[in-house]
Amino acid sequence: MKAYKKEVQFTIWMTAAFILVGNVGLIFSVFPVDAMLFGFPVMYIVPILMGWFGVFLLTLIAGRIGNRIDDEIERENDTLGHADEAKEV
Amino acid sequence: MEQSWQLDNPILGLIVVGATFVLFYIVGFISNRQSKSAKELYVGGSNVGAITNGLAMASTYMSLATFLGITALILQLQVPFIMLWIQLILAIPLITIIYGTSLRRMGAFSPTHFIRDRYGTTASIIAALFMILVSIMYALGQMIGIAITFETLLGIPYITGLFIFGILIVGYITIGGMAGATNNAAIQMVIIALMFIVPLAAIMKAIGASGWYFPPLLYSDMVPAMMDALPSFFDYQFSPKWYFSIIPALTIGALGLPHLAMRVYTASSLKSARSAMVWFAFILGLVFSATYAMGFVGVFATTTQGVTISDGDADKLTIILNMVYNPEWVTALVIAGAISAGLSTLSGNLLAIGALISQDIISTLKPDISQRLNLRIGFIAIFAGGIASILLAINPPAFLVVSILWAFGLAGVTNAPLIIVGVWWKEANKFGAIAASVVAGAIYIIVSPFVFPSIVLTGHGVTDGMGLSGAMLAVPVSFILLIVVSYITNRIPALSGKLTKQADIELIERIHGWKDIKAYRYNSTIGAGITVAVSAAVAIWALMPWGM
Repeated sequence: MKAYKKEVQFTIWMTAAFILVGNVGLIFSVFPVDAMLFGFPVMYIVPILMGWFGVFLLTLIAGRIGNRIDDEIERENDTLGHADEAKEV
Repeated sequence: MEQSWQLDNPILGLIVVGATFVLFYIVGFISNRQSKSAKELYVGGSNVGAITNGLAMASTYMSLATFLGITALILQLQVPFIMLWIQLILAIPLITIIYGTSLRRMGAFSPTHFIRDRYGTTASIIAALFMILVSIMYALGQMIGIAITFETLLGIPYITGLFIFGILIVGYITIGGMAGATNNAAIQMVIIALMFIVPLAAIMKAIGASGWYFPPLLYSDMVPAMMDALPSFFDYQFSPKWYFSIIPALTIGALGLPHLAMRVYTASSLKSARSAMVWFAFILGLVFSATYAMGFVGVFATTTQGVTISDGDADKLTIILNMVYNPEWVTALVIAGAISAGLSTLSGNLLAIGALISQDIISTLKPDISQRLNLRIGFIAIFAGGIASILLAINPPAFLVVSILWAFGLAGVTNAPLIIVGVWWKEANKFGAIAASVVAGAIYIIVSPFVFPSIVLTGHGVTDGMGLSGAMLAVPVSFILLIVVSYITNRIPALSGKLTKQADIELIERIHGWKDIKAYRYNSTIGAGITVAVSAAVAIWALMPWGM
């Protein structure tokens, strides 16, 4: 049960995080900001930076957690065996 | 005065392009000597390393549009188009985490392969037909772009260039298969990045930008002059609704693109697929950011430097900037980069068509044919798909990038919900899948400006043409139909004989890595209910006035 829950929660939250980081323009269209950062308007450069480094960072995290969940599923497969399968199906 | 943009020395351009072609042929030939089975042809034997695969993913995704179309649309739409383009980087990461690793574990060749095992023959053939349409539209865009490049820059007539180079390219893809395409795509990504970013640095240096040594991000010293000359450049222009519609149309749309998903299946392991996603994000972010810089520099050059580019030449912005500021041999290299970009995407599209026809249609209808014959059909399908896109390109539609983006939406409507819900919800069944694909696909096509120009949702040409408005309606409708029809038909006893519930359950558990079966897994009615409610809200919002 634990690995399954983790897998579902990971996928939902990670998908939401990716969509958010890739669509910062949507957030600024709702909450406009009139400021400058690194010489650019914030509403221009922040979506670009998030769309590169933000997404890159998330892929690192997603890769790591994804591998860990795979291992946990493997471990649950091994430890649970098939003894309780008959009860729950 | 209308200026015509053409290389003074076309031979130079031809030599550079010819040399890159020879390189691709050699790599394709060497890689393909091992391609003896369908698995090797379509997914490179599922044995491709992370860096090669990450580069290949990026280059498959970066079509000719990077060189020709995007900068043109930045010139016209300015910042909103940049905001639209940024999220396209999510494609491979989302495919990987939502369903790519599951389908890789299953050993699928293509997303429709999964649809066949999950929903049966009829649903998979419908999905495959839609996917062939998507792939051909996508391939068509590349063919047109390649022919236009040769026509306007080297002086070769459009039709001649289309046939000669079209057939050369189709030949190389047919000979190379996926192993060749993957190795070539990785090389092409390096060529694309170099041929785009290094000349951009030279252009920025010539204009006087102090950050020319890192073009993707260091051009802020041009911002004050830009704000004086064109204060509206940084305006968002459209409402939040427009920015929201990008998610169903392009973010979800990219999840249904077969040639992207196939890249995940080429990985040598799940871990390698996840590493490839990291490389993809890094390299694509780099080139995308450089593209925005090129668009910015283009607008800057036209508003402050006296460079005039007519509307008809907008597509050639990147190459024109090189002609103005760089020596001719650099422009020749940029053209080679543009052709490489078109080539790698085209090979992804044609391989997807090959897999769709031979694996998803012929093998489904005639499962008993030999592997040898199947492989031969695959080669013929790849070649025929290429020829079809060449023939369609004889009379090209008006605006190629717009129609490529519209194809994203079609994939998002007809394929993505079937795969996403199919992987995560055991109750999804073939009746739901067929209803979703056919009805929502029809709605998407009807509200597009291409079929009935008077039936559109916004009346804003580019928004309807790119499928933003259509997908915001049809994608949620597709999710709703899939879930509601499946839920109802699962509860009609008369239909239970036509469903394969136990096989579906076993398939889902297996592709997530489980060796046993548990009733509680992937079976959430609440999750399905929330999806329906959110989808309904989005669809209603799409039908309300857009105010454009």
